[in-house]
Amino acid sequence: MSEMVELPMMAELLALLFFTPILASFPIAIAWGMHPRPDWARKLPVLSVAGLFVSLCVALYILFNVGELSPEAEPIKYTIQWLPEFNINFVFIFDYLSKLMGALTAVIAFLIGVYGLEYMRDDYRLGWYWFFFNLFTASMLLVVYSDNLLMLLIGWEGLGIASWGLIGHWFRDDDELSYVGILKRKVAGLNMFWSPSTGGWRAISTIRVGDMPMFFAIGALFALTGTLNISEIPWAGLEEKIGVAGVVILLVAFLMGPFTKSAQLPFSEWLMTAMTGPTTVSALLHSATMVAAGTYLFMRLSWYIQPWELHLEGYEYVYVLVLFLGLISSLYAALVATSSLERKVLLAASTMSSLGLMFASAAASYWVGKFAVLVAFWYLITHAFAKASLFLVAGHLIHETHDRFLGGDTEVARKLKWAFVATVIATIFLSGIPPFTAYWVKSGMDGVLHHLEHEFGLLPLALLVTISAIYSGFLGKFLSMNFFKGKKVHLHLHGGGIMSAAYLTMVSMLLVILAAILTSPEEPFSEFVEEGLMASSFAVGMIVLVAYAFGFFKPQIKSPLGQFFGDRMYMMFLNDYIVPKIGWAIAKVVDYGNRLIDFTCHQAIPGMFEIYSYGVRFIQNGKLERYLQIVVGFVMLIVVVAVAAGWIA
Amino acid sequence: MIELLASLIILTIGAALSYKDIRISLVASIVAVLVMMISGNAAYSAMILFVALLNIFSLYAMRQNQIAGLDYALVAIMAIATLYVFMVDNLAMMLVLFMVVSAPTYLLVMVSDKNLNVDVGIKYVTFMVIATVLFIIGAVLLYSTTNPLIYSLAFLMLIIGLSMEVGVAPVHEWVPDVFASADPIPVSIIASLAKFVPFIIAYKIIVATATPSLWPLLVVVGLIAAASMFVGNIGALTTNEPSRILAYSTVANMGYILATFVAVTAGKEYIYFAIAGGLLQLFVNSFGKVGYFASIKSEGTSPITAYLLTFSFIGLPPLMGFWSKLFIIYSLVYSQFIWLAVILVLNSAISVPYYIRLARLLGTGWKFNLTSAVVLFASIAMLITLIPPMWFVDLVSMMKGV
Repeated sequence: MSEMVELPMMAELLALLFFTPILASFPIAIAWGMHPRPDWARKLPVLSVAGLFVSLCVALYILFNVGELSPEAEPIKYTIQWLPEFNINFVFIFDYLSKLMGALTAVIAFLIGVYGLEYMRDDYRLGWYWFFFNLFTASMLLVVYSDNLLMLLIGWEGLGIASWGLIGHWFRDDDELSYVGILKRKVAGLNMFWSPSTGGWRAISTIRVGDMPMFFAIGALFALTGTLNISEIPWAGLEEKIGVAGVVILLVAFLMGPFTKSAQLPFSEWLMTAMTGPTTVSALLHSATMVAAGTYLFMRLSWYIQPWELHLEGYEYVYVLVLFLGLISSLYAALVATSSLERKVLLAASTMSSLGLMFASAAASYWVGKFAVLVAFWYLITHAFAKASLFLVAGHLIHETHDRFLGGDTEVARKLKWAFVATVIATIFLSGIPPFTAYWVKSGMDGVLHHLEHEFGLLPLALLVTISAIYSGFLGKFLSMNFFKGKKVHLHLHGGGIMSAAYLTMVSMLLVILAAILTSPEEPFSEFVEEGLMASSFAVGMIVLVAYAFGFFKPQIKSPLGQFFGDRMYMMFLNDYIVPKIGWAIAKVVDYGNRLIDFTCHQAIPGMFEIYSYGVRFIQNGKLERYLQIVVGFVMLIVVVAVAAGWIA
Repeated sequence: MIELLASLIILTIGAALSYKDIRISLVASIVAVLVMMISGNAAYSAMILFVALLNIFSLYAMRQNQIAGLDYALVAIMAIATLYVFMVDNLAMMLVLFMVVSAPTYLLVMVSDKNLNVDVGIKYVTFMVIATVLFIIGAVLLYSTTNPLIYSLAFLMLIIGLSMEVGVAPVHEWVPDVFASADPIPVSIIASLAKFVPFIIAYKIIVATATPSLWPLLVVVGLIAAASMFVGNIGALTTNEPSRILAYSTVANMGYILATFVAVTAGKEYIYFAIAGGLLQLFVNSFGKVGYFASIKSEGTSPITAYLLTFSFIGLPPLMGFWSKLFIIYSLVYSQFIWLAVILVLNSAISVPYYIRLARLLGTGWKFNLTSAVVLFASIAMLITLIPPMWFVDLVSMMKGV
C-alpha cells in the first residue's frame, strides 16, 4: 500500500520531535522542586519553549519534505520494531492528515508556549505547568503521527493525564479568577460553580468512561484482524466476520474514546469546567490538542475505512449516529454559548459546537466521499487558529481586567488595540462571513450536507445553517461584550507585549490559509472556492453576516430561556448528580456484598463451627450409660441399613 | 515360625525376670521384636519397630507404674503381632492376632505412675469388648455366607466393630474420655501401635470376600468416614486442651483411613494405593500421637519438632502426612468417590487451625530428657518420605492377602 521511500535520519528526527519537548521541560520541573528554589528557576521556561520550537522545526520539515502534500498521495510509513512477534510496532504514518495536523499542533503549541512565558510568569507552580504543557504537546504529536492503535493509545493516555494536571493546575482553589460559574450559586441544591481541582477531576473521570470501551474495542480489533495499524486493518472484512451488530458495537465502543475526548453529548460538561485551568491550557486544549484528538482520530479512521467505497450496513448505522450526534451536540453547544456570561465558557461552548460540525461533516463522508473528511479537516485547522487566538485574547483580557466575566467598553478597545484587532479578525474569519477563511470551508460543508438530501432530506443542512447563524451571533456578541457594550471595567495595564505578539501571529495564520484557499489550484481548495461561489452558499453567508451584526448590536437579551441556555440546559445534573448517585448506588451494593462476605467469614461460619464443635463435645458427659445408648442406637440403625442394602442386592 | 517361637520365649523369660530388674525385661522385649523382624518385609518391619521402640522407651519414662517391667513385654507382644500380621491370610490366625493386639491395651490404659485409672479402664474395656464381638462375628460371617442379606449385615458389623475399636465417629465416645484422663504414655500406645492390626485385618478380610454388589455398603462406609472427619476436626477446633485436641484429631484420622475402604472394589492398583495411603496415614498418626503425647508428658518440647509434627498432620509436602493424604485422595478419585475426596480436602483445611494451636501450646521449650528424645525421633520419622514413598506402595503389594 505504501511506497518504499528512503527516509534518511528518520528515527533521529522522530526522537527529536517527541522527546525534545519533554526533556526540555525537565530543568524547570526539577529546579522548581528544589529546596530552596534557585533564583534562576523562573528563567528556565524559555528552555521548555525552545523544546517546543525544535518540535515545530521537525514537524515543518516533515510537512514539506516527506512525500507529496496532496490528499491523493500514498501514505508513507516508517516502522520501528516493538513487538514484531505480535505484529505490533511503532508505525509512524505521514499522509495528508498527519503532516498538516502535526504542523498545526506544533505551531499552535509553540505560539501558546511563547504567550505562556509572559502569562504564567508569576505563577506558583511553574515546574508542574511546563512539564505537563510539553507532555501534552508531545502526546498529541504521538497521536497525530501514529498508525498503530496501541502506540496511539500511549499518546492518548498522555493527553488524559496531562489534561488532568493542567486543568487542575491551580490546585489550591484559592483564586476566584480560576473558578467556573458564579460562586456560591446553587440550583436545586447543586453547586453551580466549579473549582480547578473539581475541573481536573471531571475531565479525567469523563475521559476514562470513554477510554475503557475504547481499550476493549482495540483489543477486539487485534483479536479479530491480527493487526493494529489503522491503514492495514481489513475494515471491509470485519463485517463478514462479526456481522452488522458486531461492527456497530465495536465501532461505537471505539468511538466512545473520541466522543468523550471531543466532548460530544452527553460527555460535554468536563469541557466547560476545563476553563478552570490557565488560559494557555484552554487555548491549547481547544485548538490543536485533546478535543481535536477525538475528531482527528475519527477523520483518520474514515480516511482508511473509506466507508464510501464499502457501502456496508454496519458502517452506515455508525455514520448516521455520528452525523446526528455531531449536529445535535453542535446545536446544543451553540445555544449554550449564546447565553454564557463568562469569556472562556462562551468560547468553550463554541468549541464544542465546532467539534460537532467536524464530526458531522466527517461522518457525511459515508455518502459524499473523501471530500467530506477534507472539509471537516480544514474546518478543524481554521477553527484551531481562530479559537486559539480568541482564547489568548480572552486570557489577556482576564489578565488585564481581573475579571473572567464578559465585560469591557470602547476604552478596552482603545487601550488594548491589538487584542481588539485580533478579536475582530478571529471572529469574522471564523464565523463564515464571505469572503473570509471559514466562509469557503463552511461553503464546502454546506455542499457536503446538501448532498445528504436523498437520505435525510434537508434536515442536516437546515441544522447546519441554524448552527452557523447562532455561532456567528455569539461571536458578534463576544466582540461586542468585550470591546463595545460590556460593563465598565477597571484595567490594570502592565506589559502584554509578548502575549499580543503571540496571538497576532496566531490570527495571521488565518490570512495565510485564506490566501492558500483563494490562490491554490490544489484539491480541496479549488472545490472550496467552487462551492463558495455558488449563490446558495452566498445566501448562507449573508444570513451569517446578519446574525453576526445582530449579535454585535444586541448582545444581551434578558429572558428565562437565556438563563436555561446559560446554565447549559442543566446538563451538569448528569455529571454532578445522576452519575454520582449511580456510583453511590453501586458502592452501596458492593458494600452490602462486602458486609455479607464479612459476616459469613467472620461470624456465620465461625459461629456455626463453634456451635457444632461444642455440640460434638457436649456428648462427652463421662457417663458410660449415655455412650452405650449411642452405640446401641447406632448399631441398630446400621442393622436396618444393612438389611435394606441386602434387600437391594 | 521359628522366629515367632524364639521371640515369644525370650519375651516370657524377660517378663519373668523383671521382678529382679525391670531393665532385663526392657532388653528382652527389644531383642524379641528384633528377632521377629528378621523374617518380615524389611521396610515395613523397620517402621513398626521404630513405633514399638518409641513406645517402649516412652514407657521407660514412667517406670514407677503398677506393672513396670511387664509393660515392655506387653508392647513387645503387640509389636510382634503387628509384624506377623503382614504375612498372614488365614482367618483364624488373623482373629487371634486381633485379640493379641487388643488385650494388652486393656491393662495398659489403666496404668500410670500415680493412681490406677480404673474408671477409664472400665469405659475402654466395655467398648473394646463390644467392638471385638462385632468384629469377630462380622469376619466369620463374611467368610462363611453367600446370602446377600447376611453378607451386608456381616460387612457392616465388621465395619462397626473396627470403628469402635479404633475410634471412628459416631461410636468414638471412649476416645475423648480415655485420651483426656488416662496417662499420656499408655494413650500414645493405644493411639499408635494398637491401630495397625485391626485395619490390616479388615483390609485383608474385605478384599478376600468382596463381591461386586458391595457398592451401596461402600457408600455407607463413605458416609461414616465423612461423619468421622467432620466430628473429629470440628470437635477439635474449639478446645485448648492438648489431649482433647489429640483425641478428636484421632477420630478425624481414623475417618481418613476408613475412607480408603471404599476403594476395595476398584482395580488392584487402586487397592494398593488405598491401603498404602491408609497405612501411611496410620504411621503419620502413630508418630504424631507418640510425639505429641510425649510432649504432654514432658510438658513442652522444642517449637521446631512441634511444628514438624503439625505440618505433617496438616499435609505439607514433603512430610509423610502429605503423601498419605495424596494416596488416599488418589484412590478415592479413581474409585469414583470424588465427593469423599472433596470432603477430605475440606477437612484438611478445617484441621489447620487446631494443629497450629497444638504446636503453639506444646512448642514451649526444649528439655533434655528421655521423653524429649522420643518427641525428637518421632518428628524425624515424618521426614522418611523425603524419598517419595512409591516404595511404600510396592511394599503394600507384597503384603499377603491383599
